[in-house]
Amino acid sequence: MDVAKYAALFLAESREHLSSCNQLLLEWEQDPAAADALGGLFRSIHTIKGMGATMGFTGVAELAHRMENLLDALRHGLVTVDVGTFQLLFQAVDALGRAVEDAAAGREGGSDAALTVALEAAAGGPPEGVADVATLVEGKRQHRRSTDAPRGRSVLIVIRGDAVMRGARAILAVRRAETLGVVSAVRPSLAQLEREEFDGRLAIRMESRASDEELAAIIRTAGEVEAVRFEEPSSWATAEPERHRQIRIDLDRLDRLMKQVGELIVAKNQLGVMAARSDDPPLTELSDRITRLVSGMQAEVIASRMTPVGEVFERFPRLVRDLSRDLGKRIRFDVEGEDIELDRSILDEIGDPLLHLIRNAADHGIEAPDVRQQAGKSAEGRILLAATRERNSVTLRVSDDGRGIDRAALLAKVRREGQSDATPETLSDDDVLRVIARPGFSTAATVSGVSGRGVGVDVAMTRVRALGGTLEIRSEAGRGTTFLIRVPLTLAIVRALLAEAGGERYAVPLAYVAETVEFDPRAVTALRNREALVVREQVLPTVHLRDLVNAGGRPAPARRPTVILEVGERRTALVVDALLGQQDIVVAPFDAPRGMPPYVGGATILADGAPALVLDAAALL
Amino acid sequence: MSHTVLVCDDAIFMRTMISDILAQAGFDVVGEAESGTQAVEKYRSLKPDLVTMDIVMPDMGGIEAVREICKTDPEAKILMCSAMGQQALVVEAIQAGAKDFVVKPFQPSRVLEAVQRVLG
Repeated sequence: MDVAKYAALFLAESREHLSSCNQLLLEWEQDPAAADALGGLFRSIHTIKGMGATMGFTGVAELAHRMENLLDALRHGLVTVDVGTFQLLFQAVDALGRAVEDAAAGREGGSDAALTVALEAAAGGPPEGVADVATLVEGKRQHRRSTDAPRGRSVLIVIRGDAVMRGARAILAVRRAETLGVVSAVRPSLAQLEREEFDGRLAIRMESRASDEELAAIIRTAGEVEAVRFEEPSSWATAEPERHRQIRIDLDRLDRLMKQVGELIVAKNQLGVMAARSDDPPLTELSDRITRLVSGMQAEVIASRMTPVGEVFERFPRLVRDLSRDLGKRIRFDVEGEDIELDRSILDEIGDPLLHLIRNAADHGIEAPDVRQQAGKSAEGRILLAATRERNSVTLRVSDDGRGIDRAALLAKVRREGQSDATPETLSDDDVLRVIARPGFSTAATVSGVSGRGVGVDVAMTRVRALGGTLEIRSEAGRGTTFLIRVPLTLAIVRALLAEAGGERYAVPLAYVAETVEFDPRAVTALRNREALVVREQVLPTVHLRDLVNAGGRPAPARRPTVILEVGERRTALVVDALLGQQDIVVAPFDAPRGMPPYVGGATILADGAPALVLDAAALL
Repeated sequence: MSHTVLVCDDAIFMRTMISDILAQAGFDVVGEAESGTQAVEKYRSLKPDLVTMDIVMPDMGGIEAVREICKTDPEAKILMCSAMGQQALVVEAIQAGAKDFVVKPFQPSRVLEAVQRVLG
């Protein structure tokens, strides 16, 4: 069998399992007494072992096998878990991850001898020799069987070490158990037991009305039974997630589909314009119908690309754990809103910015335990990663309850560079962000308290902006810092408001449009020496699109609409010449040429086939 | 009242030894069989509380005998007597309905433990 074609699947599935291993290890480490995670860990590692062996990746299979030995010993209480065990398991999961990646990339990395020895030692001695590939594959099969079994009780049976024919004894024990219920799975398999290919321990899954005591008693009548233990079903084979009919689709394919739908929308828009002009009822009707069909199709394609943010979030608990360990801090990491969904392509891009922000929070935000206590805080700091859904966007929040940004120190540094005349009191959050998001800010920083704060903030800012999103900061000295990332639900197709200025058309993503009002010259006032408008008793900084784009030509019309842009809690008034309605636009990826003003977020083709610039609302604020 | 036992083995040596072990422990050895066929017949006529059954016997083997006996009496308490290296056969006997097994060379204590388990 040519297994090469399964390499991608192997890689994807292994990654999922490794990710879940990290998750389970973290949970378990939080509460070492609760061994619920152990069963899941064992299953994941076991699955990777089986897959690795099937692929012929002996490095993967051997490492997984050693980990399995340790997990097995832990599961049966032969060795007990301690801090070192967790560290070792984390290391092993990492090493297994590398082995998987190496193997899938065609590099068979060398095995880590030290890790191997450590795993063996932790498992209470050298393991049985690594079984050959065929046996491992067999192991995988019976693993399948056992996890496919219905819910029920899990019984661990240990046959005495000095018993003869332990395999037959084990089978006898299974038979005894069967007198009180239905045994749905046996591990190792009966065939393996018969060949005595086991170490005296077997696990069965069964459904029975009998009590644990009754079951244990009947199993013991098989003789030579050293121990009978019961586990909650969740610990050995957690309830399998509900089975949906699913297929895996290459994201590239979905990207192409999305692009096609985008083109279709442009064509549909053009058809709509033609139909409106034609005064031909059948054509208008057809155009309307196509519009509805394309909208439905667009919704389906977008839905198929939606992925819970939890997929990206799940790697962070491990990161924070490692960071707090390295930094000698105590950090509680909480995650909220894992189920909120985002377009896969945005999700893929959002991981890095979050990583930078979380690392910053752990490294620079959260103080050392003694410092926190002196400040009257709990020794344990807290970082919260939360996702919330808003109208057409998702907000990702990284908050810490650490020291906050030291504005005085920040200003001192900025003043040395002669860049600001602000005072700590007047330095707004936006100003803070502008400073720390400057490329190279961190490397130049020597100021304590903010040192390194900029690490990655510029990177995060750039990435988020490239997604059509925004980044905000809120920081309070002594209380902590919050970063807010706002990204659109999906890329590529956005609903936009079309505006005209100086004879050119511009698209403003609707996600950032709060409302439109009529420009009232009497409402003009000044805010910090800049023009501002009073709208609903709120003074908003004002931007004239004509001025912004240096539009010449006809003078501005007397009656001018004003678009109120809103990003988070910040608002700005954008005065335009005319509003031309709403349209779904396909934002073309935009490699901004040099000199392109920052307020241009992309370009699009309008319904009539003419190009238009897409405004970046955040840059206008 | 002591339990009745039927001892099945093709070797007189083994039958004698097993009978002695059981008798000394207070069991009532009511019969002996030297083949599977005999074992089935004697089980039906004697209705013993317990049967010890050798696996390899002439004419009808022990496993076949277990199958036959369990056909009419699924609750029959049969203890298999096996030699080393016959694990697959022992497993087969268990699947056929044997309730326990002991492995030669016999240690009297193990035989008695097994008998006690089978008789409950």
